[in-house]
Amino acid sequence: MDRRGFIIGSAAAAASLKASFAQEATYPSHAIVLVNPFPPGGAADVVGRPLAAVMEPMVQKPVVIETKSGAAGAVGAQFVANAKPDGYTLLLHLTSISGFAEVDKLFGRTPKFTRADFVPIARLVADPCVLIVNDQQPYKSLKDLIDDAKKRPNEIIFSSSGLYGALHIPTALFTAAAGDLKLRHLPTQGGGPALTAFLGNNSQVLVSSISACLSQIKAGKARPLALFGSQRSKALPEVPTMKDLGYDIEYYLWVGMFAPKATPAEVVTYLRTAVNKAAHSEQFKAALANLGQELAYMDQPEFAAFWEADSKRIEAAIRSIGKVEG
Amino acid sequence: MGTVESLLLGFSVALQPDVLWYAFLGCLVGTIVGVLPGIGPLTGISILLPATFGLDATKAVVMLAGIYYGSQYGGSTTSILMRIPGEAASVMTCIDGYAMAQKGRAGAALCIAAVLMLTLIAPPLATFALRFGPPEYTALLVLGLIFLAYMSSTSLPRTLLMACFGLLLGTIGIDNMTGHFRYSFDIAELGDGIGIVPVAIGLFGLGEILSTPSASVVRKVIAPRLRELLPSRREWRESAMPIARGTVLGFLIGLTPGSAHIISSFLSYGVERRLSKHPEEFGKGAVAGVAGPEAANNAASTGAFVPMLALGLPTGPITAVLIAALMIHGVPPGPTLVNEHPNVFWGFVASMYVGNLMLLALNLPLVGIFVNILRIPYAYLYPLVIMFCIIGVYEVSHSIVDVWIMLIMGIIGYGLRKFGLDPAPLVLGLVIAPTFEMSLRQSLIMSNGNWTIFFQRPIALTLLGLCAALLALAGLSLMRSRKDWRSRLAAAEAGENP
Repeated sequence: MDRRGFIIGSAAAAASLKASFAQEATYPSHAIVLVNPFPPGGAADVVGRPLAAVMEPMVQKPVVIETKSGAAGAVGAQFVANAKPDGYTLLLHLTSISGFAEVDKLFGRTPKFTRADFVPIARLVADPCVLIVNDQQPYKSLKDLIDDAKKRPNEIIFSSSGLYGALHIPTALFTAAAGDLKLRHLPTQGGGPALTAFLGNNSQVLVSSISACLSQIKAGKARPLALFGSQRSKALPEVPTMKDLGYDIEYYLWVGMFAPKATPAEVVTYLRTAVNKAAHSEQFKAALANLGQELAYMDQPEFAAFWEADSKRIEAAIRSIGKVEG
Repeated sequence: MGTVESLLLGFSVALQPDVLWYAFLGCLVGTIVGVLPGIGPLTGISILLPATFGLDATKAVVMLAGIYYGSQYGGSTTSILMRIPGEAASVMTCIDGYAMAQKGRAGAALCIAAVLMLTLIAPPLATFALRFGPPEYTALLVLGLIFLAYMSSTSLPRTLLMACFGLLLGTIGIDNMTGHFRYSFDIAELGDGIGIVPVAIGLFGLGEILSTPSASVVRKVIAPRLRELLPSRREWRESAMPIARGTVLGFLIGLTPGSAHIISSFLSYGVERRLSKHPEEFGKGAVAGVAGPEAANNAASTGAFVPMLALGLPTGPITAVLIAALMIHGVPPGPTLVNEHPNVFWGFVASMYVGNLMLLALNLPLVGIFVNILRIPYAYLYPLVIMFCIIGVYEVSHSIVDVWIMLIMGIIGYGLRKFGLDPAPLVLGLVIAPTFEMSLRQSLIMSNGNWTIFFQRPIALTLLGLCAALLALAGLSLMRSRKDWRSRLAAAEAGENP
């Protein structure tokens, strides 16, 4: 626990003690903790911190980001799934939250948590991914890449943030859609290392979020071939979408907020209103613009439907990857 | 624009009073964060990140970077005084620094040399860092292991035994290539592997405390007088070369992606011990044994900025947070940073010169205060230290499993001390195991299972050549049964305690 968290934590402990004697005051009566299940500096962290800063004066109580990283985001998610559903422990998670249970199923393990353990609150951003090749590759279009990959199966290497990870899944969606294309997979320990391997030509292809690789594209180190969004991006207007090119696939690196299941309805309603207001504030939008992202806000009903559709895609991708031979 | 004009531009930014103030604030917070056991730079930076939202990008980055190198610097204070590594990279400093207290401290400030290297060669070196792919990394780690075995003072089998134990501990956790869990016993935290911080704090910190009561040796308290905090002329002479070697070594290792900066202090310790005329002093307070690894550690933290600034690539979690901070402030890091935001880039570089001087000024008097902690009787001090060990370990990833690992490692560390086994190779084994396995298997994926990939790439080949040379040297002295440095060491020790 960080020092600030410690102080707030002790204050919160004192407050909850009092509350157990008196009738619980209206929510929120003490600090709200947003769990970031990834190492600091990741998407959930950089989106969450400005949001927390805007929410704090609105809810009149501290909003604290607590990092609980491990197992590619599973440790933090499990922590929130098992937390008391009182609205004081919330989760910020990414696209990859949908995949854990499916991977466990693949290996015959009992899932530690499933999607049903969470109540979606809101989606904040959704960064479409882009397929890039490095500057030492001759490919000018997606077709060039596909043709060459068909001629040399299993020769062209793509890097990813890890097996079944957030950058492996879109690549699997693409290879499946392009007619069971064979690319060789180089898993690394995160988005940063995957980009490093790509720039050093240790891998030739990478699917990355736009914000993570935009500066490399502008510097000419990476060439974008296709976008995974449903529409073209403002940052890269000349890059066609997969749908433009005839592949019916979509993939976003989104960040959303979740509460543990069985959180009281009035608390969820309060949070939806507060997050909605905070997300649409100029301050938060400006922070996102600096990150190279845009607000892609979805309130609970819309987000729940989106999450349902998105996780179907992800589960299908994980099944298509299957178990990997050691 | 030449380097000199650019740097002048940088200083014109860094010496503005308000930028100076934020640099000072960053260094101060960093020192505090580094001194408090377990509260690492990562936490310090992420807590203060929102506090910089109102500042412009230069001030924000100057302050956050100050926290980073301030904590690297302050981290050794705890390890020197209490034998608790404030963070993983200070493990080696613990060994000798503890015995000799504050004397090597000023040496670390000379890491300004590393900043100079950053100024002059950042852009060309950054592309060199990119050539460090998985095969090069594998070769570097093999070199690290062989080096350790070659340099070790205790018998070769004992060192290798400890290193292998460390490597085996490092295999716990998820297999990144296939997604299977290994030895995790359904504990989610173990799925991520055993962290280096709980192991290091347990083995060195707790193990030390546990074995103290049975030692019944009353330690001398080192009287803190400001005059004595500056190294004597003899100490300067003894530490000049180790600092120079440590700086170069650390800087080069800091450039490479991954968590390699931890091995920089191990490697520097090994080099200094090997080159020293008095290897028997190592472990008992050799100046070179503090100055070298400290310089290497600090230089590695500077080196890590090169790929970050010149390419926008994070080499570790801390640079990742700094990159996020730059982005939040609207400065997209990447290859274009130097040209598009010269005031941020050069202001940042210049502020590192200023910041390092501030750290020196901050730390010299502070060491005096910290030394007073040692005046507290052990009966009161040690329970406090154990408490800080536990808080520190919990703080790193907020995991109670880590606390248990630390406690178990403390007992193991106690046992190892009793049997005269050195825990340092165990820590090194654990540090490199996951990266070693990952890069070895990545290399084989790249070559489709062909082992010749290590001999086709010039950097990897050179590093493996060095390994072969070291092994040949070891074999040669064995064959000629000549007295090598290890037997000289044994002789010196025998002479000492007849």
